[in-house]
Amino acid sequence: MDYVIHSNPSYSVVEVTISPGEQLVTESGAMAWMTSNMRAQTSARGGIMSGLSRAVLSGESFFQNTYESEDGPGTIGLAPGQPGDIKAYQLDDDELFLEKGAYLASTTDIATSSDFQGLRGLFNEGMFVLRVSGSGTLFFNAYGDIQEIEVDGTYVVDNGHAVAWQPTLQYRLTKAARIRSFLFSDQIILEFSGKGKLWVQSRNPRSLADWVFPFRSTNQG
Amino acid sequence: MRVEIADNGAFGSALVHLRPGEEFVSEGGSMFRASSNVDIDVTTRTRGSGGVMSGIKRMMGGEHFFFSKYSVTDGQDAQVGLAPRLQGQVALIKCDGMTRWLCAGGSYLGSGADLAIDTQFQGLRGALSGESLFFLAVQGAGPLIVNAFGKITPLDIQGELTIDTGHVVAFQESLEYSIGKAGGSWVSSFLTSEGLVMHFKGHGRVYVQSHNPSEFGKTLGPLLPKRN
Repeated sequence: MDYVIHSNPSYSVVEVTISPGEQLVTESGAMAWMTSNMRAQTSARGGIMSGLSRAVLSGESFFQNTYESEDGPGTIGLAPGQPGDIKAYQLDDDELFLEKGAYLASTTDIATSSDFQGLRGLFNEGMFVLRVSGSGTLFFNAYGDIQEIEVDGTYVVDNGHAVAWQPTLQYRLTKAARIRSFLFSDQIILEFSGKGKLWVQSRNPRSLADWVFPFRSTNQG
Repeated sequence: MRVEIADNGAFGSALVHLRPGEEFVSEGGSMFRASSNVDIDVTTRTRGSGGVMSGIKRMMGGEHFFFSKYSVTDGQDAQVGLAPRLQGQVALIKCDGMTRWLCAGGSYLGSGADLAIDTQFQGLRGALSGESLFFLAVQGAGPLIVNAFGKITPLDIQGELTIDTGHVVAFQESLEYSIGKAGGSWVSSFLTSEGLVMHFKGHGRVYVQSHNPSEFGKTLGPLLPKRN
């Protein structure tokens, strides 16, 4: 397997070339173009329950596509639904946690499952995050730039800007304000602790949606 | 205090490095990453600006009611990352303390806590046109961070230049400026939906943005479900 990430960081797409016998699993809807010798299999990978948990709990798609090439190498271009960066991450019998919507594609020896985040998930982007485990190459994407942070100790990130983190990091929800602001909306932040890598995105889709909201027309007009 | 601008694409952001004792201010809620030795307080005021009333003025200026204020809680260096809402570039303006800067309401991202910030109300004409015509007046020496919708370009004016208000990010107050209509009359201005423009005159720098955020909003708004 070979890949090139084009036009990053703002409008990234990844072009992956696989040889016969190799497989690439992708988020459904991510395929933008492919050579004609690519064959897709659509399935709820890992079974119905796994598909359901992925879709309902982690906000990823129920179905995932598995691509193979016939008669020689084939190439597929994958484009995330939002403009921004794509990162390739090498797993070697270990894990990575992804925030809702960040999963793009992976080689077949990588499994994805939902990980219950408990109550803190209620205030976070979702109750569950995606746990990615195994060996191979993982592609994840974000809205905006992806910045890599080496955490050693603690580091805080605004809720909605965390993208991925290594399992050596723990996090908890906290509030970024003191008493004076109790009347007003607080900024909910995630405090990561431990030693490991953390990836954040430089934009937040929800914040864009909030910005657009007042431009909606009224029923009167 | 050192400001690092991540400007390698369409989604600019700023990383502010603080030393113990230093403070920084931003538009409320624009922190997206920070070292854990940063205390984040929400404040209605910055140095030189009033209390709640100026908060209300700022809210009318299209900004969040509040500023977030960042300070270092221990003797270590700290960092705060600031990101705007829309896609576009982020730029650092080094205010020299000689001339004031006026920053369009939606273009302010953050500033050193030593800079005084106040709201400039641009009169009734702004209200009539439906466009937000509030500027934050930034005075003092220190870093000012602005964000643009799209690309940000500095223009050095010598003489005169007319710029649509929706494209003005920030300008030096050494420039004379007046607000007027783009068309021949208020009616034609309204009908052609060319909004208000700013006529600049004199000598000074203006930062402009390639795209007008409210035009983008007007494109998307009607595509969304109506509000009640």
